[in-house]
Parts: sequence; C-alpha cells; structure tokens
Amino acid sequence: MNFAVPRFLKQIHWPLVILTVLFAVLGIFEIYSASFREGGSYASKQLCWLFVGLLVFFATMWLGYRSFLDLGYLFYGLTIGMLVWVLFFGESVSGAQRWIFLGPFALQPSEFAKVATLLTLANFLAARSPVEKQKRTFLMASVLVGLPTLLVLKQPDLGSALVFLPLFLAMMFLWGIRFRYLILLFLMGLSSLPLLWHILKPYQQKRILVFFNPQIDPIGASYTAIQSKIAVGSGGLFGKGWLGGTQTQLDFVPEHHTDFIFSVVAEEFGFLGAFFLVILFLLLISYIFQIMQQTTDFRARLLAVGIASAIAFQVFVNIGMTIGLAPITGIPLPFISYGGSSLIANFFILGLLASVYKERSIF
Amino acid sequence: MNFFKLRIPNVRLYLLQIGVLGTFLSLLVGLFHTQVIQGPYYRRASEQNRIRLIRLEAPRGNIYDRNGLVLATSRLAYHVYAIPEDFSPEDTPILSKLLGLHEKVIRERLSEARHASFTPILLKQDVPKELAMKIEERRPELNGVFIQIGFVRTYPYGDVSAHLVGYIGKISPEEYKNLDPTVYHYNARIGRAGIERAFDSYLRGEDGGRQLEVDARGVPIRLLGEKDPRPGNDLRLTIDVKLQSGMKDLLTKHKGAILVIDLKTGGMLAAFTKPSFDPNAFVAPGRSSERLSIIGSKERKLLDRSLNGLYPPGSIFKLVTAMAALEAKVITPHTTFDCPGYFRFGPKSRAFKCWFHEGHGRMDLYMALERSCNVYFYNVGRLLGERRLAEYARKLGFGSPVELELPTAGGLVPDAEWKKNVHRDNWYPGETITFAIGQSYLLVSPLQILRLVSAIATDGTIFSPVLVWEEFKNERKDLGISVKSDTFRTIRQGMLQAVSSNRGTAQLARVNFAKLAAKTGTAQAPPGEPHAWFGGFFPFQNPEIAFVVFVERGKSGGFAAAQVGKKLVSLYHELRSPSVS
Repeated sequence: MNFAVPRFLKQIHWPLVILTVLFAVLGIFEIYSASFREGGSYASKQLCWLFVGLLVFFATMWLGYRSFLDLGYLFYGLTIGMLVWVLFFGESVSGAQRWIFLGPFALQPSEFAKVATLLTLANFLAARSPVEKQKRTFLMASVLVGLPTLLVLKQPDLGSALVFLPLFLAMMFLWGIRFRYLILLFLMGLSSLPLLWHILKPYQQKRILVFFNPQIDPIGASYTAIQSKIAVGSGGLFGKGWLGGTQTQLDFVPEHHTDFIFSVVAEEFGFLGAFFLVILFLLLISYIFQIMQQTTDFRARLLAVGIASAIAFQVFVNIGMTIGLAPITGIPLPFISYGGSSLIANFFILGLLASVYKERSIF
Repeated sequence: MNFFKLRIPNVRLYLLQIGVLGTFLSLLVGLFHTQVIQGPYYRRASEQNRIRLIRLEAPRGNIYDRNGLVLATSRLAYHVYAIPEDFSPEDTPILSKLLGLHEKVIRERLSEARHASFTPILLKQDVPKELAMKIEERRPELNGVFIQIGFVRTYPYGDVSAHLVGYIGKISPEEYKNLDPTVYHYNARIGRAGIERAFDSYLRGEDGGRQLEVDARGVPIRLLGEKDPRPGNDLRLTIDVKLQSGMKDLLTKHKGAILVIDLKTGGMLAAFTKPSFDPNAFVAPGRSSERLSIIGSKERKLLDRSLNGLYPPGSIFKLVTAMAALEAKVITPHTTFDCPGYFRFGPKSRAFKCWFHEGHGRMDLYMALERSCNVYFYNVGRLLGERRLAEYARKLGFGSPVELELPTAGGLVPDAEWKKNVHRDNWYPGETITFAIGQSYLLVSPLQILRLVSAIATDGTIFSPVLVWEEFKNERKDLGISVKSDTFRTIRQGMLQAVSSNRGTAQLARVNFAKLAAKTGTAQAPPGEPHAWFGGFFPFQNPEIAFVVFVERGKSGGFAAAQVGKKLVSLYHELRSPSVS
C-alpha cells in the first residue's frame, strides 16, 4: 500500500497537469480583472470549478480511458437526449436555449456532447478498417457527428457547433480517409452553406457579415469587433498590467469574462503575455501529439488527435476573433474562459489523455 | 494490434501537425501586427476612448381604425442624456436648474452605471422643445450632455379602445436577459397588452445608430459609421372607432361590454368594454401613480370584459338549447308544451319557476323563443339531456377560446363527467333543466355569444372574427358541424318575433327603420343583481352586423340590455347613412 501512492504519482503526466492548472489560474486572475468592477463573484466560482475539474481529471485518469471509450455510445445517446431536451425545455439566455439548470448550476450540454462525440467517433472509426467499405464508414461517421452538430446549431450556438468540424476532419484524416472524400466533404460543406445560413439567427449572420465588412452594423457586432481590437492592440508590447485593462473593464468589450477573456489577457499583459500564452497552448498540443505517439492503441490515437484538433481550433478562433482574424462566434478559450461546463469537460478529456499516457505500455 | 500501428499514415500526422503549427504562427503574426506594429495607434484610441455609440430609436408603426383614424402613434420627444465619463461634476448645479431635477438625483443617475461610464444615461425624458434648444446651445459649457430625439407613444382615443390597442412598456431586466439583444436593447419598450403586444415585432422597427469619434470635451468630430433606423410597420384594424366612441353614451350607469361584428368580412367593428382606462398613463413619463391606481383598481379596469369576461348567459343560451333539440330531432318547431308558470319532475318534487309566474300557457318553439319561456325549455332540456346539450354547446364554440388575434377566455360547459371530476358529486336532473336555460355552472364570454349569433345570422357559414384588416386572408369557415338551414331559419324566426311581437321579450329594442332579430338574457348570478344580455343581428333580411350587449348587474335583459341594443343599432344606422351625420 505504501508503495502504491508514489507509483500512481509517477504515472501522472505532470507537464500536462502543471500547464493546464497554470492556464486555469491565469484565467481566474483575468476573470477577476474583467468582472471586479461589476461586483460579480465569477472568479471565486471559477476557482471552485477548477477544484471540481481537477477531481474529474484524476478520477478519469484512475478509471482509465478504455472504460469511457467502451461506454462511448451510451454517453453519446445521453448527450443527444440532453440536447433535444434543452431545445424544448432549456433555459434561454439572450435568446439562445443552451442551458439546463440544476439548482444553482447551469449545465451546457453542448460541451458534453463534444466529448461524447469524440469518444464515439474514436470507437467507431477504430473498429473499421479504412481499406474496405470506406464510403459506408464515411457516411455513418458523418451522421454520427452531424446529429449533435445540427442540434447545437439549432440552439443556436454557432461557436460550439463549429468545433465539431475540425475534430471530425482531423479524426477522419488520420483514420485514413481517401482524399477524394475529403474533397467531396469540402464541396458538400460549400453547397450546404446557404442552408446553414438560414439556420443562423440574424445576429449571427450579422457577425459573419461584419467579419467581411465592418461598416455594416456600427452599433452591434462591428462595434464589438473594433472595441476588442482596440483592447488587444492597446496592450502594446508589455501590457497595462494586471487590473489595468480599461477597455475591457469599462464594458467596451462585451462578454469579457467568457468569450472575450483573451482581450483582457492581451490588454493587460501585452504582446509578450499573448505570445507566451499562444506558445503554451502550442506546447499543450505538442504534449497531446506526444502522448498519442507513445500509445499503440488505435482508439486512443484517434481520440488524442480529435482532442488536439478541437483544442487547437478553439484557441485559434477565440484568439483570432479578438484581432479580426476570425468572425465573432461564441467559442470559449479552453481552460481560461469563465464557465464550469467547459472547464470540467476540458479537464475530463485531459484526464482521458493522462490515462492514455499512464497505460501506454500495457501490451 | 500491430496491424493498426502500421496502418497509421505518418505523413498524415505530420501534415496535421504542420497545419496546427501554421495556424498558431498566423495567430502570432496577427498579434504582433495588432499589438506591436499598430499598438501605439490602438493605445491612443483606448486612452482617449474617443468612440461613442449613440442609438437612434426607430419609430413604432401607427395603429389605425378601419377608416384611417389614428388609434396609436408615436410623438417626437426630446430626451436629455449624459455620458458620465465626459460630464464634469461642477456642472451639476447648472444642469439641475435647467432640468428641474434635484442635484442628488443627477449624481445618483450618473453613478449608477459606474462600470459603463461611456454609455449615455437618460437624465430626463420628454422635455419641452425650448429646453432642448437651450441645452443644445449651451453644449460647449455642459460637457457630455446632449439631446436625443426619441418617441413617446400616444393613444389619441384614450380609453375608448384601450383594451384592444393595448399599450407598451419598458422591458424588465429579466426580459432583457431572455430576449434577442440585437432587437431589444436595455431600455427598449415592448408591447404589454392588446394589439401592441400581439403584433409587437410587426409594429416595432429596427433601431439604428451612430459611431462617433469625439474630442476631449466629448464634442463629436467625426462620424465613423451610421445605420438609419428602420421605422416599424403600420397596422390597420377592422374597428370603427367612431362607433366604439358612441358606445360610451350607451353604457352609462353599468359596467359591461358591447361587441359588433361585420358579418360580410368577419371584421370586428367594435369591442367596447367598461370600465376602461387611459393607456396614455402607461406610456407618458411621470404618470406612474395613475398607472398604479389602474392596475390595482377594484373594478378590474384592465379586464377586457368583451373578450375575457366570463358570465352565466341566462336565457340567451336558449338559442343553443333550441338548436341542439331541433338537430337531435327531440322536438320540431311545432312541438308544444304547456307552461303553468312552473315545472315539476313529479307530483311531489320541487317546482322550477318560469320567470312569468302566471304561466305562458301552451306554446310552440317560436312562441317560446319570442317570450323566453323557461318551462318550455325545461321540458326540452329534460328530453335532450345534459350530455347532448353540452356536446352541442361545445361544437358551437362554448367552453374553448374563440380564435382571435388577442387572447380570449374559454369559459365552461359543464356535464356529468366534469362535475364528477371537479365537484366529486353526481349530476342531478334539476341541473340539466337549469343548464337548458343558461344557468347552472355554465360560463360564457360576450365574444362567444357573438360567435353564436353570427352563426345563426349566416346559416353557420361564419368568418372567424378578426381585428386586423386583412381582406385578402380572411375566409369564410364552416362552423365545423352540420346544422340544417331549416334549424337556423326557425331560430331566426323566433328571434325576429322576440323583437317584433308585442309580447316579445326584446320588443324595447324595436327600431322604426328596419327589422331586427334578437334574443334577451337575464342571468342569475347571486350575490347581486342579475346580468343583462342582448344579442342579435341586423337587418333581419341579408344581415350586415351581429352584436352582443352585456350589462353587468343590469337586472333585466329585456329592459337594460334591449334598450342599449336599440340605441346601438340606431347608432350604427346613423353612422352608415351619410345624410344624417
């Protein structure tokens, strides 16, 4: 027994843990900076979520990713059920139905749907050979991912729906799909754009139009885009210091403790801070690829690549939208943005990765 | 497992990793460009905070009556705003004097939004034009204070159509959270009642706005972007507001409701309800005490009695009983019963009285409708039974809301099953026969009676009633049940006799210019005096309108309601013939 604890500790992928806790702590400081003037208790709530997240991380790691993969379809069914439920009975905030309220907690099922889809797709693809019946597999996988995507899009939550796309593409790609299907997928996506356009709410359409032409909506979306750019840009090389970000604190940038948390970071810590943050995210993703290459379990490899692509995509779109490189969509910055569901879901997938690392030599 | 390992194309993995690296590099380049190269520019922009956002309010659409008279419109008004960040506190005394606001109030308002100190704060609504000019002139002294043109809703006809047209109000913080923020801003107004509420999204326009760059004193120097507001759509109602105004003189003493429908189109000509209120109290600034007294009034002023009031119908319901009995072939128009002034199930059981204690004698259906004989309909009700009567009443639209653009009340049609569920008691035969004369548990709205009378007047091919003028959309609908036109003809004849016969209960409604058909009702509703009903259509041949008069606690349908009915038909006739007016 005395021996077991240190061994468990030795099996933990410490860089992963340290890095993500670092992200979350930075997030808490920045959430505080973004919201202290309004008197919200977001920072302390996020601290609680961090502890819950760590608990989830270790529990997941201890249980092992295999059991979760085996139960993947069950999770998938459950989250689809939640998504349907939220469409009909969910609480709407700012005109979007995304929440299930459980007492004082607000669950965002789209975060869990993302994780469940990752698990299911890894399971599904690993069980099928890319050498035969590729078309069939491709179609079934599309349905598997398309269903939750459409349900999330219907909420409407464009940002969370978009995340399904890179994880699907990356996993299919690594699984070994033929290039012609990728091209076909690209064409299909292109031709379904008009249809998708109509699913979007007017304010989402506006945000995308504004991305191409900022003069369209001077009081709404483009105002946000310009103000967030001013916030990031005014940080300069060294930033204004912690709690010194006037742009974000004075409410020029909306959603500054959630989706626009990066503009607080960039305003207060400047290009140096932003640079290090991006490099650290790159480091996180390279750890994920590293873990992936150390395992021989194909399911785990697919899972890891899906996770890496989802995180990379979220980081890119979230940071990109604050400087006009991507349209404004509600995507949280992993581990940093305020939000319990997102933080816990992220710690859960990292727990899966950590368990892949732990079990890498079992063969 | 080794098979899988071999299968993973490493080239693909490299490609993926290169892709991730590429996107992150582009992020770094973008950040470098924004923060380092353009950094000084943005730093200046943020230090000066030179961009101001001014919302341009879109005027809400007008509401007209059928003749184009304005029922609701938006009046131009001047609002005084201040941007806390630009305002210097030493100007407070001057501003306080100008606006007639206490200095403390100004200071409080401005500090309310500490964390959003660049958002304009409303200081005073709807100031006189002269004051607005004065403030604009003194703008160089009063930093950060400006005049914004906005709109105040007004309802020229005041209480005449208050329930129908409704009113608007500021959204609550909870609503703001739940509504689309691009449509409803924090101070947005939203339809709170009536048409204003039901057609809110149609009437409301889309706000515009200006992005201004201002100098250090808050004076605009450059327009960065502008979007014009899109005004809301106008709406035309089927209501004739002149007719409805005239009703104020018809219903003087009592509470009540009057409904008139145009039978040729289904458009409601009038939906008058009393007591009413002045909707302007809900939209004009500084009338909140009046508003509160309306909301808290014991008379329930906000209740639209014409659409949502529920009352026992009394004898006017005999029309339904007669139709049901004819259709069920329980009686023919010539079936006779004797009325000795009371009715008994057996020799020893309790006597149910007729309103005419001396007794009507032997009569057929026409006479029974003409004189509203209770005993005749007790007999009919006994033959028909409560189940069939309830079934017909429901088919004729009672017990469920009438389809309309506004919410309407459903009412209650009782039967044995209902009584068992609700009262845990058996249904008694005595209840069947009182049900047949429109008493017992029955509850109806004036609008439901209007629908019934319209169906009788048009052989059952009625329009569903509408309030909004859409000649292209409204189509004649079948009643949903097949009632023989002979049945309708019989009922109409009975209603004609009720007015034209010298022994008819509705004879006080007789007019000298045309024939009128109607039925009265006197509904017992203890405690207090009975309610008075009067419903009919006009003229008898080729009817144009159907109407219902309801007088709350009016004592007698034959007196109170029928007299109002006569004046109503005369008023309608007068307004229709241009020579008189």
